[in-house]
Amino acid sequence: MRSVVALAIITFKEGIRNRALFGIGLMALFLLGLNVSVAGFFMRDIGKVTVDMNLSALNFAGLLLVFFVAINLMAKDIDRKTIHLVLSKPISRSQYVWGKYGGILLFLSVSLAFLFLFSCLTIALLLALYPDYFGAFSWGQFVVAATFVLVKLAVLTAIVLFFSTITTSSLVTLIFSLGSYIAGVTIEEVVFYLKSDWATQERVVSESLRTVIDVLSYLLPNFTVFDFSLEAAHGLPIAFERIVLALGYAGGYSAILLLLAGFIFARREFN
Amino acid sequence: MVVVECDRVSKKYNTGLFKKRICAVQNLSFQVKEGTIYGLIGPNGAGKSSTIRMLLGLSRPTKGEVRFRGNVLNAVDLRAEIGYLPENPYLYDHLNLNELLAFSGEAARMEPAVYRLRGRELMARLDLLDAQKRPLRTFSKGMLQRAGICFALLHDPSIIVFDEPMSGLDPVGRKMVFDLVMELKQQGKTILFCSHILNDVERLCDRIGLIHKGQMVREFGREDFLQSASDAVFLLTDRLDESSQRALEPLIIQSRPEGEGTLLAVSVDRYLDVNACLQQKGIAVRGCRSEWVSLEDLFVHHIREHAPCAV
Amino acid sequence: MRKVLPASILVVMLGLYVALSGAVWKQQERARLEVPAGYVIPSKFSRVLALGQQGLLSDFLFLKTITFVGGRIGSGMPLSEDDWRFVEHSLDVVTDLDPYFKDPYVLTEGLLAWDAGLIAEANQLLAKGMAYRTDDWQLPFFIGFNQFYFLKDFTAATESLMVAARLPGSPSYLKTLAARIGYYGDKSKTALLFLQELVAEADDPLMRARLQKRLQVLEGSVVMEEALDRFVEDQGRNPEKLVELIETGYLEKFPVEPYGGTWIFNKEGRVFSTSRFVDGFVPQEKD
Repeated sequence: MRSVVALAIITFKEGIRNRALFGIGLMALFLLGLNVSVAGFFMRDIGKVTVDMNLSALNFAGLLLVFFVAINLMAKDIDRKTIHLVLSKPISRSQYVWGKYGGILLFLSVSLAFLFLFSCLTIALLLALYPDYFGAFSWGQFVVAATFVLVKLAVLTAIVLFFSTITTSSLVTLIFSLGSYIAGVTIEEVVFYLKSDWATQERVVSESLRTVIDVLSYLLPNFTVFDFSLEAAHGLPIAFERIVLALGYAGGYSAILLLLAGFIFARREFN
Repeated sequence: MVVVECDRVSKKYNTGLFKKRICAVQNLSFQVKEGTIYGLIGPNGAGKSSTIRMLLGLSRPTKGEVRFRGNVLNAVDLRAEIGYLPENPYLYDHLNLNELLAFSGEAARMEPAVYRLRGRELMARLDLLDAQKRPLRTFSKGMLQRAGICFALLHDPSIIVFDEPMSGLDPVGRKMVFDLVMELKQQGKTILFCSHILNDVERLCDRIGLIHKGQMVREFGREDFLQSASDAVFLLTDRLDESSQRALEPLIIQSRPEGEGTLLAVSVDRYLDVNACLQQKGIAVRGCRSEWVSLEDLFVHHIREHAPCAV
Repeated sequence: MRKVLPASILVVMLGLYVALSGAVWKQQERARLEVPAGYVIPSKFSRVLALGQQGLLSDFLFLKTITFVGGRIGSGMPLSEDDWRFVEHSLDVVTDLDPYFKDPYVLTEGLLAWDAGLIAEANQLLAKGMAYRTDDWQLPFFIGFNQFYFLKDFTAATESLMVAARLPGSPSYLKTLAARIGYYGDKSKTALLFLQELVAEADDPLMRARLQKRLQVLEGSVVMEEALDRFVEDQGRNPEKLVELIETGYLEKFPVEPYGGTWIFNKEGRVFSTSRFVDGFVPQEKD
């Protein structure tokens, strides 16, 4: 446990001092600033537009963090053989995986918390400027939606770690993770389309394709589960049960990937 | 007691999906005894680093076993006794040395007070105290090398594995590391390292293994270099004819042809007698050598002689 | 021993995950129906947000629109006016992102014109498509159909059809159809010919299924109208009720009305249904 924590700490420090962070942070702050400046152009529902833009900024910044910084935190270790040094210490391979995951998660949480703070400030500012146009806005739902941006990134990070244990280059990891992300965001639409009555009536979906789709819906993460932006934007109620389910889903999926990553990593050779 | 043992180890690599498997190490066996320094030498690509990676469990032998004090390395605990310095260590760019050493200490389950103290000692020893708060990205190659040594030695391991410890070091740094290795030996540590700098290997090692194309070509002991006969001088003379050879034989330790001349090993207290004899015979002395046979000569000789191994 | 613990945790997690995943998918299915149609980012913004992948974004938005409508119809929920507005906005954005994309225009005709009754909006979208897909005879054909069938603007319909007829690949009978509108504009038979063409051209299974249902109902109308015409010709008067057609032997039985309405007719000799040929729209029966 101590070595896991120690590894998580240096991973976190290595990530948080990365210069790319400034760029990503600046970009997110720019988006938030843009939000403040364009809010006045909308006639009504400024609250909705604000929430949309804030969540998108968090989401976009988070994805950049995962794909440009987090991938490197793991893959550069292997590419540059730093992992040889780390593994020469009394750290098991699965401890390494968990330590890295913890570090990256900490890094993402702290970075996003920082951006979230700014995002809250812009919302507070706009609330003060246009109090009449924030009809259905609720802080609670916004916090839930923002937290689930982090949950989504946590699942994505588990995917990244999993792929870095089976590939030898960070580029391949990047491509696979990006592919999984895109598939994960779109899978729900595809599955429901294929399941819809129109499609089945016409038998465009053969039985075997249906099975493939069913299996895929278990294999790939459904990232839309973590998307509460619509609820936050329109102030719609979020069922507690839905939050619990989504959290359990995220936890289960990530834990399985990390355990598998640990198994694969233990068998892996570093040449 | 044998601390590290390679028992008929072979390693094959898959280089690519459809490419031929490469045999990096073949049937390699050697033993490192407690408290001794063992040096692995060999040309580039001989399989030295592959061997070391198998020793550390970073990769698994295709055949054979690596043993530490008779145990196969798989338990994490055993690694607490090993300190490892990889070739050209890449450390974390944005950390500073203090943080890196703290990680090393934590990972080895040391008390914070203990590893802080030991870290300071090692940094002082390797002249890194001034740089301890700088990000490692700003370190020069030699500094990184020394930082890597601090990282490897922090938890006071009893077995030390160095891959090219002297590369990238300036003469002062080399001396520092050289002295450190000697001191570690005096503390009774078992040290295994590989290096291209034969001069260092020659001076430090108790035993030397020459690897070529994944196979052990020869193992040398100190006696093979005759350096232990420190009271001998080595004279290079014109080629001796048979009569002079016979006349000199009782006076010298041994002789061998060297280039166009003959190399004589002469005991210091017989030097004047030999000198008189040479003068009398009219044999010119061309110069002197510092050693009977250099590791470099042996190295080149064996590599040339050794037939390529069949994969 | 060291591997047994993680392996057993993995097995437990797998079981847990499969259960959770099933629950989550069910949950999502429910949530999708509860959520209002939402909001489409105007193409001014989405064009920038697409990061150069406008084509892909338009494909995705289009898929999303189909699934949305499909989900509502599949679960038997009628689409509200807001839902239809969402569909219209989506299709507008999709065609803004990629104005050459054919499918959204077909969907525009099939959904916006037929189901939503947003005829003017549908024609506007189709006109946008005509500006880009200049060689596509179907777009003016759709417009012409809307003008003929929904707007009853026979002059405009004839013009649109003539435009379609001049484009490459258009079927030869378009000219005949255009001429026919002039004489028998307001007859189900004309609409039937139109619709048969629509069905023949619809590759999309989703559209096809719906168009075929309409074809069936229009065929019914044609059978009824022809019987009615014969009745009027012979008797010199309109029947009191449509049942009279069966009683007097002009019709064997009423054709099936697939939308569940009952057949009615007007003085001009046109036969309709109380369902207005839309699923779930049977107001007379409810009253």
